[in-house]
Amino acid sequence: MEEGQLIAGLRTRDRKTVEYLYDKYSTALFGVISRIIPDRDIAEEVFHDAFIKITNKIDFYDESKGRLYTWMANICRNSAIDKLRSKEISQSNKTNTIEDFVYGFESESGTMEQVDGIGVRELMNQLNEDQKFIIEYIYFKGYTHSEISEEFDIALGTVKSRVRAAIQVLKKNLDSI
Amino acid sequence: MDIQEYIASGKLELFLLGELTEREREEVLELAKKYPEIQQELDALEEAMFAFDQLTGIAPSAKVKSGIFDSLEEEFRNTKGEEKSVEAPKIEAKVVVHSAFWKSFAVAASIVAVLASAVAIYFAGKFHDTNQRFTALLQEQQVLADNLNQVKQEYEQTDSRLDRLVSGDFKRVEMLGEALDMQKDAKVDVFWDQGREEVFIAVNRLNSLSAEFDYQLWAIGPDGPVGIGIVDPSQPFNLQQMNAVAEAGAFAITIEPKGGSEAPTLEKLVVLGEVA
Repeated sequence: MEEGQLIAGLRTRDRKTVEYLYDKYSTALFGVISRIIPDRDIAEEVFHDAFIKITNKIDFYDESKGRLYTWMANICRNSAIDKLRSKEISQSNKTNTIEDFVYGFESESGTMEQVDGIGVRELMNQLNEDQKFIIEYIYFKGYTHSEISEEFDIALGTVKSRVRAAIQVLKKNLDSI
Repeated sequence: MDIQEYIASGKLELFLLGELTEREREEVLELAKKYPEIQQELDALEEAMFAFDQLTGIAPSAKVKSGIFDSLEEEFRNTKGEEKSVEAPKIEAKVVVHSAFWKSFAVAASIVAVLASAVAIYFAGKFHDTNQRFTALLQEQQVLADNLNQVKQEYEQTDSRLDRLVSGDFKRVEMLGEALDMQKDAKVDVFWDQGREEVFIAVNRLNSLSAEFDYQLWAIGPDGPVGIGIVDPSQPFNLQQMNAVAEAGAFAITIEPKGGSEAPTLEKLVVLGEVA
């Protein structure tokens, strides 16, 4: 399905289109949430709400400001960050690290199945220490770049260029996996 | 404008992560429209971010999907039911005609209930929107505070340099390239307080250099030339503080390999100025 067709279908609340959207993007979008929220039950709850929000807010999505996936991923990321900072989770005080994620981690409701461990591990090993740090804080701990700058006393410009460098490394190596 | 430099700044990544202010977002969108290279880079980055999420993602369990579609059921029905809604009032009318008093009371009660729910949903939606806008504002405020901090630091630096310049006993030494072969129109001023051994320079005119080279400032005293720092040609009329010097008969700038040298490369002498 073309992206334009997909968006038009979503705007008319067409059930088939919403199912197509779910099948195509739920793995990636749930990935965005579950790497920030290690507890699977809570992550699924957040995903449920975020997905409903996506279908309800589709009329606010503006194609001229970026692709559909990026818009959806940001809704998911923000929902996960909101949840992470809510009392409910900050009391249990558990956040993710790349190591947890790559080697599998326990959720309160049992063991979460591992992602395609070897491929991801290889990918992460391509990053140097600075880049790993950036990816860990942005992707897995839900920090914004200005929060990293402030909390670790790294100049904003340096944080920015490290974000770029890290994503470049991932980008280059994603093709080879 | 240097497009490669803009791409390398990391701004596009932050754009995709949703971390830019509204104004910065507009800027990125405008530039992407103007320069195909920027649009291409955005496309490639979006592709890569999706590929990364897809690779590291896990499928949510089946009950999540059924839960979501159960919640959306009403949404789907509402849009399909628009045509049918024409028939609905007729049925309702019949009910009213044939019913006893308690039935019309029940109808009135359900209408009130529906209205009340509608109002509740409306305000819940409003609250949610406001909440989101509030979060966006908080983020924007953070960025503004960062910017302000940076400006403040720059201001304080400039202010303290100015203080020292005004309170000190500075001699101005004009260094020119006129008599030399490298850059005829080059001009750099040295401000030297001999008593306090402080040296500032202000670049007036100096060509920019390729990445392998630096301009190095030399103080030529009784013991020969002493390197007292690297000169940044990209900040014209901006005071740059150099290393301390107590004795000098002249100042000069040469082009040296990146990072500067122990002794000046005299063939690459760019400007020279004698202390009057």
